[in-house]
Amino acid sequence: MERSRCVFYLSLHLSMMAPKKVELKKEAVKMSPEPETAKEPDFDPQSIKIEFSTDQIEEFKEAFQLFDRTAENQKKILFSQCGDVMRALGQNPTNAEVLRVLGRPRPEDMDSKLVDFETFLPMLQHVAQSRDKGTYEDFVEGLRVFDKEGNGSVMGAELRHVLVTLGERMTEGEVDNLLAGQEDANGCINYEAFVKHIMAG
Amino acid sequence: MSIRAALLIQRWYRQYAARLEMRRRCTWKIFQSIEYAGEQDQIKLYTFFGFLMDHFTPASSERNLISHIFRKNEFCHDTEWERYFCYKSIEVTDSYTGPHLTFPMTFCGVSKLVEAFKHKQQLHARYVLQLLGETWRLLRIFPNISQISAYHNKQITICGDLHGQLEDLLLIFYKNGLPSSEKPYVFNGDFVDRGKNSLEILLILFGFLLVYPNDVHLNRGNHEDHIVNLRYGFTKEVLGKYRVHGKKILKLLQKIFSWLPLATVIDNKVLIVHGGISDKTDLDAIARVDRHKYGSALTPPKPTKHAVNGSKTQTINNREACGPVEGRRRVCSLTYCSSGPAHRHDLPRRSLHNAHISSQLNWSLEKELKKRRRLAGFDQSYRELRTSDSDPESGETTETDVGEWKQIVDVLWSDPMAQNGCIPNEVRGGGCYWGPDVTEEVLGRHNLQLLIRSHECKQDGYEFCHNRRVLTIFSASNYYEVGSNRGAYIRMGPDLVPHFIQYQASRTCRELTLRQSVGWTERSALRALREQLFVHKSDLISAFQEFDPNNKGMISLRHWASATERVLNLGLPWRLLRPQHVSSTQCGMVDYQQWIRELSITEPKQEISDNSILETMYKNHSNLETIFRIIDTDHSGLISFEEFRQTWKLLSSHLQTEISDKAIADLAQSIDFNKDGVIDINEFMEAFRLVDISAHT
Repeated sequence: MERSRCVFYLSLHLSMMAPKKVELKKEAVKMSPEPETAKEPDFDPQSIKIEFSTDQIEEFKEAFQLFDRTAENQKKILFSQCGDVMRALGQNPTNAEVLRVLGRPRPEDMDSKLVDFETFLPMLQHVAQSRDKGTYEDFVEGLRVFDKEGNGSVMGAELRHVLVTLGERMTEGEVDNLLAGQEDANGCINYEAFVKHIMAG
Repeated sequence: MSIRAALLIQRWYRQYAARLEMRRRCTWKIFQSIEYAGEQDQIKLYTFFGFLMDHFTPASSERNLISHIFRKNEFCHDTEWERYFCYKSIEVTDSYTGPHLTFPMTFCGVSKLVEAFKHKQQLHARYVLQLLGETWRLLRIFPNISQISAYHNKQITICGDLHGQLEDLLLIFYKNGLPSSEKPYVFNGDFVDRGKNSLEILLILFGFLLVYPNDVHLNRGNHEDHIVNLRYGFTKEVLGKYRVHGKKILKLLQKIFSWLPLATVIDNKVLIVHGGISDKTDLDAIARVDRHKYGSALTPPKPTKHAVNGSKTQTINNREACGPVEGRRRVCSLTYCSSGPAHRHDLPRRSLHNAHISSQLNWSLEKELKKRRRLAGFDQSYRELRTSDSDPESGETTETDVGEWKQIVDVLWSDPMAQNGCIPNEVRGGGCYWGPDVTEEVLGRHNLQLLIRSHECKQDGYEFCHNRRVLTIFSASNYYEVGSNRGAYIRMGPDLVPHFIQYQASRTCRELTLRQSVGWTERSALRALREQLFVHKSDLISAFQEFDPNNKGMISLRHWASATERVLNLGLPWRLLRPQHVSSTQCGMVDYQQWIRELSITEPKQEISDNSILETMYKNHSNLETIFRIIDTDHSGLISFEEFRQTWKLLSSHLQTEISDKAIADLAQSIDFNKDGVIDINEFMEAFRLVDISAHT
């Protein structure tokens, strides 16, 4: 545990020292065919077996229709809404995972192409089966990285910076929403409480 | 590692935001469905009155109770009206501490008025009548469609629904400045009802209109209608604030509303109307109508004698002849008859019966009439189906009149929809739903580039649709509940590109986080929904029992959802709402009896033995109040026991249920009669208002 923590601190230190380098490295990795994607085949809806119960499916349909703002009698949603609808239904895929089940669409398709419920359901099923969901412990461990003093809190400003610059970046507005009411007078966030708060939403 | 942490947080945030968004949409749908169902209800009631008018002899007392609301503009000269509305005899005593107005109105005068209202002062009845009188005179010279221009670098400000929310108007003035010749404004209808300062808003808008008649433009909305006002609070507000002169003020306002222009056009390119359009919309036709003939947009022109009697004559108040009414299949709203079975929603909404049942003769009509007469306690012998000659309301009504009327109703009541076509607006009961193809056709036909309308509450105060060719603007923030939505207004320069300014009136809700405000609004919506469920208790239990023949007290989730929707008919996602309402489910089964018991709403203080009349009372709260106010012709707020009894008879006839005289007498007795045998309408309605006790838990 101690050793790995050292490594973490080291990599953190490095990444903070030369952020540009890290980003370049990331991009370089993206450009070349990633070994990970080669391993995963394209998403094949036919191969998915639906395991949801009828009641669950009816409920999903209701939620789906709630998001249908494009053409109400068509009962379809935009590609760009798929991720949100899946999340509203209790899953939490990354954006990358959503793009994958959508068949890796082009950016211009996101706000124009539509998905009906029958097409959506296998996507949802697949995402529901994903093992890598993240538990409360994962979360807390992840945040502990930023806990410099080991006192159970992280600096709001630092967290903001990370969320806006790393990973699947959030906007300033989204971060404001997330951290609303969580920072104390010193700008510190008790992260265990914070995680409980997010997971309860 | 930090990337992994970031990824985790980010995806969890996105889930949190998506779930919040779903709750918000659910809540919105609840409020909107209940709101529109109320509007639909009102129109059904009004249509029922129309039916009564057509089929009962003028001598019947019941008809007399309601006939005055159908009286179109009395054939009096305006000079006679001027005498009636004269303010000169009304004295302003020294005890009056509100603002004093001088005429002709000046900018200083209106600003003073705005300040006074900001400080919650009330304008003296004399000045109210004087201001309204001047407004009436001015509006009569305006055309139906105001033509304005954004030339000379003028920025035009366009506002949507205000619904009596004075704080929002004051906020707009604060952010944007008061109206003037340098700062023209368009107000797109629905100034009144629901909020508690409808009259103040009107007085301010009319004040500015008087000072800047070329730069302030008011469009009529569907709530600028004295019949609608009976139900949605404006009538009550005026009568409450002006006990002596309220009736006169309301009558003058009735005239003013009918004289409000119907549309505004900017530089021949941008059309602004309150509701929207239909495939039949023709601005030339609208420009030609005698708009003041249509006092209430809910009153269709009456059919001729022939149409009522013979099967030979073409029905004149429907474009295409509609067949006999058969449940949901033939849907006719007040103006629109579609021949196809097109429905906006999958679940069939409550259909409206036709504006004039009389125009469809079939043999069962006679039976229907007999039953209704009996229920209403009418004992007149039934004469021929024709309106009497001496009836001042009858007269020749041409197809032109009906066509004109439809043009007006469409413009005041319609809503856009996503798919192509034009179908009756069953949800509201008036106007239509129009699609993007209709937008293109109508805008193209008139060489316009943008349609700005209001009429629908929007989360962000505004919303584009139909390829950004239609823009909805809504200026009443927190409309459903504190934190429910922002209001917005438009600024538009010579380039005719709309810019939006959004706001939210209440400071407390600006400080709420998104999650808190969603939670607050959601709780309020669920309360409203619980009330609806409660008042339909018996219908719900019967519906559930159909799926539970062995009376086990349990039904499947699917049956629960479908039965609930069938009874309430609100088009809501019941399965999603279930966790908020039903605590008990085991293996996908719902203990419905437990659930009904859990709908904890208090009963009124009085002891009523007859539960069914109580439920009717709750279910028809608004209808009852509307009928009371119609009957209370002198607007005193008091009705006699006999009128009370007649009200219930009318209601029972409308609902096609039996209500015994004894039940009515018991109900009357339960109220404290300390006013010499008359009933105070407000007191009565308050005594039977539902209070959700779970709200306090």
